[in-house]
Amino acid sequence: MISTLASRALERDGLGPVRDRVLAGERLADADALRLLESADLAALGALANHVREARHGDLTFYNRNVHLNPTNVCVASCKFCSFARLDDQVASEGYTMKLEDAVERVLARKPLGITEVHIVSGLHPDLPWEYYTELLRRIRAGWPELAIKAFTAVEIHFFARKFGKSYEQVLTELRAAGLDTLPGGGAEIFAPRVRRKICDDKATADEWLEVHRTAHRLGMRSNATMLYGHIERLDERVDHMRRLRELQDQTHGFQVFIPLAFHPEHNMIGKAFPKPTGYDALRTLAVARLYLDNFEHVKAYWVSLGERLAQTSLAFGVDDVDGTVLEERIYHMAGSDVPQALSEPDLHRLIRAAGRVPAERDSLYRVLRVHDGGAAPEHAGRQVSA
Amino acid sequence: MSPKKLRAAAVSFLNARPLTAGLDASPRVELILAEPSRCAAMLESGEVDLALLPVAALAGKDYEIAPGIAIGADGPVQTVLLVGEQSPAIWDEVYLDTASRTSQVLARLVLAERGLHPAFTPMSADEGVPRAVGTKGALVIGDRAFDAKKSQILDLGREWTALTQLPMVFALWAARPGALTPEDVQELARAAQHGLGIRTEIAQGFARERGGDPERYRRYLTHRIRYGLGPHELVGLETFLDRAAKLGLLPETKLRFADDHVRTRRVRRQVSLDGALSRGAEGERLDADEAELLDERASVLDLGLAADARRRVLHPEGVVTYIVSRNVNYTNVCTTACHFCAFYRPRGHKEAYVLSREQLTRKIDETVALGGIEILLQGGLHPELGIEWYEDLFRWVKQGWPTINLHALSPEEIWHIARTSDLDLGTTIDRLVAAGLDSIPGGGAEVLDDEVRRRIAPLKCSTDEWLAVMKVAHQKGLRSTATMMFGVGEESRHRVNHLIRLRELQDETRGFTAFICWPFQPENTRLAPGDGSAQAYLRTNALSRLVLDNVENLQASWVTMGGGVAQAALHMGANDFGSVMIEENVVSAAGTTFQMDSEEVERHIKDAGFRVARRNMRYERVGGELSA
Repeated sequence: MISTLASRALERDGLGPVRDRVLAGERLADADALRLLESADLAALGALANHVREARHGDLTFYNRNVHLNPTNVCVASCKFCSFARLDDQVASEGYTMKLEDAVERVLARKPLGITEVHIVSGLHPDLPWEYYTELLRRIRAGWPELAIKAFTAVEIHFFARKFGKSYEQVLTELRAAGLDTLPGGGAEIFAPRVRRKICDDKATADEWLEVHRTAHRLGMRSNATMLYGHIERLDERVDHMRRLRELQDQTHGFQVFIPLAFHPEHNMIGKAFPKPTGYDALRTLAVARLYLDNFEHVKAYWVSLGERLAQTSLAFGVDDVDGTVLEERIYHMAGSDVPQALSEPDLHRLIRAAGRVPAERDSLYRVLRVHDGGAAPEHAGRQVSA
Repeated sequence: MSPKKLRAAAVSFLNARPLTAGLDASPRVELILAEPSRCAAMLESGEVDLALLPVAALAGKDYEIAPGIAIGADGPVQTVLLVGEQSPAIWDEVYLDTASRTSQVLARLVLAERGLHPAFTPMSADEGVPRAVGTKGALVIGDRAFDAKKSQILDLGREWTALTQLPMVFALWAARPGALTPEDVQELARAAQHGLGIRTEIAQGFARERGGDPERYRRYLTHRIRYGLGPHELVGLETFLDRAAKLGLLPETKLRFADDHVRTRRVRRQVSLDGALSRGAEGERLDADEAELLDERASVLDLGLAADARRRVLHPEGVVTYIVSRNVNYTNVCTTACHFCAFYRPRGHKEAYVLSREQLTRKIDETVALGGIEILLQGGLHPELGIEWYEDLFRWVKQGWPTINLHALSPEEIWHIARTSDLDLGTTIDRLVAAGLDSIPGGGAEVLDDEVRRRIAPLKCSTDEWLAVMKVAHQKGLRSTATMMFGVGEESRHRVNHLIRLRELQDETRGFTAFICWPFQPENTRLAPGDGSAQAYLRTNALSRLVLDNVENLQASWVTMGGGVAQAALHMGANDFGSVMIEENVVSAAGTTFQMDSEEVERHIKDAGFRVARRNMRYERVGGELSA
């Protein structure tokens, strides 16, 4: 159901047929998605996306307790939107590579905090041996058996395959044996070759990215998917990106969540020419994703990128997941994000509740651990911000 | 026969004097001086009806708090200390000064947070402090603490704020249930206003009495102690009582206020949500019942869609306007000491300033160079600036920059000028207009409901006074804006009252050009993670569009909410993007602030699907439509 006001507004905008398709649970065409992106009627678009969101999840808004680990920012790729990567690990260039035992310790030290997932992504380091990666997972797994390990974007998996002369399947199987649970959705950027040539010419192509995920899904692993928007891409290229994801999802049903990521312009090569996409762009992109990606269960607003206020606003625009407490985030902070380094669980609850939603802690596989539909958050969680 | 006086107990500590000095000759209150713990006992036994009560004594009681006033600190307090020779980490016993239970509880809380659990032995500070050697520590409070000379000093005010990021409230006026009339509450506020104004003199008197440096005491009274009981202080107080209860140090407590029992609630008419929404969307006038229902129950999207429908009718061409203006704060000296304000400084503070003509020249020249057509001139309530100072200033501005719009002086400042110069409102405004005043900003409205104002800004003008300035100004042909700062603990009915009072005056005068609202901004230097104000802002913004059917323009507040949320506001009722901010001090002193130049403002407007035009204060387009 959508309100009469929303229905009338959509009719007025000429979106009556799209509205009817959404209400009937039918799939939107690429042209519909493009129309919605261009419609410039944010409140009506929000109402439509909110209808889908509430039909799937009611007021539940998901988050997890997670920690990030970025073992190295040394990277052989030269993506023009990146503020994180460095060519080497010399101090002068702010490049770093964690010693294996330090990286492991950083994660294990968080054990008292009740975290359920570690998110590990890195630069494409030219010299680290294969054993660095497998050993990293193995030691974390041994030290903290119940922690879910979400690690290595498809771009990294592709890099490993090339560098170490293995197939995707071999890479994934060996990492899995070492402790890998799921793949994060990074490195997708924009699939369109025109865009990829210009902003990230020397890393995995769209087909390679999708093939890695296809392989992971075939092996029974779940993964996530992202889209980096707001730089040189056109709106139809965003739709094209989502179409490729929707097609793969139809075949595998292995994606858990779609995460549009706003390009951050500071300290990278294309930031001067392309300012940060506005909040309006974020809201319409999230809303259209919710409407178009009918085979994705979840749409996430990554608060580290959007800021807390916009992330909260997005809960009325189709979003049902706000990521998590995100200890130790580096990548967006190096691109000029000025949001806090982490949110405590009570802070997240406050943000979600103030939007009239119900916080639900999930695990790495989107199983609900606890619905916080009343009462305060667990006592131990309040201290995370100072950690 | 004169009415029976209210018997009140208070401590004689230096920090209490600004609250009690004005009661010496009070016709309503008879003051009895005693130690903190004795004050609590007298209130408990009924010997007195009112006491300047250490907050721990509130626990488990049904005392009623006088709103707005307290003795607290936001950081170091200087007079609640743990002292010893060795680090607290090795203390095995702490002597707890028996003079104040609040400080005892605070000491135990702070040590427990550090994982320290020494034995606690009640003992007067006279005995305890000399024994605080080796592995022993002692709590010392009040004026004695000025003389503390130990190698280890833990300031419990500083510790509390470091721990919680909140102010600590040590004492406040509390009364036996039903004992305080609204007139008594006013009398306490009057006394506080008087006492805060003579803190320098109080410090000098105290130095004569017991020796010591009067400047040190003055700084203590003006920099360390905070006398407001505003939203932050209330959260601090609740947090303290809560944590103490969790540790079993105090029973659980729910705060009650002296004005809670005098509230009169309107009986609400039954109205339907859908009916109210569609009536609002169609531009029919909403009454208070409908507005409250929408505020409480409508979804943010429905409110937004209804407000958007109104915006499309009122501003059908899809143009969003903005102005290039500079906010100049001519002084930060202020006597009002609003609890939510991080900008003001007391007279004599090292950061206190009044802008010089040279500084003003530079600021105005820069503004003009950036295409600015308006100066928004606002400041604190400086006790020494009379109307002549403003007249000179305005004439000087108009002489140097004849075409610039002088958008100056919020109602509070105009009242202040009228009072300090002993003039009536009409004469004050006439003289300011003759000197060059063009229009009035709508600041200082906060929430125009005296229940709320008494609590958050007890020393500010009342709702009627605020509206009276606007009415006289409008009648004299001035135009003004109107604002609302919400999220200060008010309820839906207060926000709705605010909007309806504005609407009533607008029916009469048609003098408001625009309305803008924003949520209370969290405090200086404090990261406020999990700020949940965005949806509340969008709701209130949309509701304002629906209720204020006679105010033409609604500004989106990107300065407080950020560009993205402000863009959403443009799709939920707003039609104006305010001003490019060349300078803004007040909100930015309180933490969050967003910066945009005109290029960035225009990018946000266009990206959100609107065309852009610049305007003046009267919302007339200037320079044509800038771009499609």
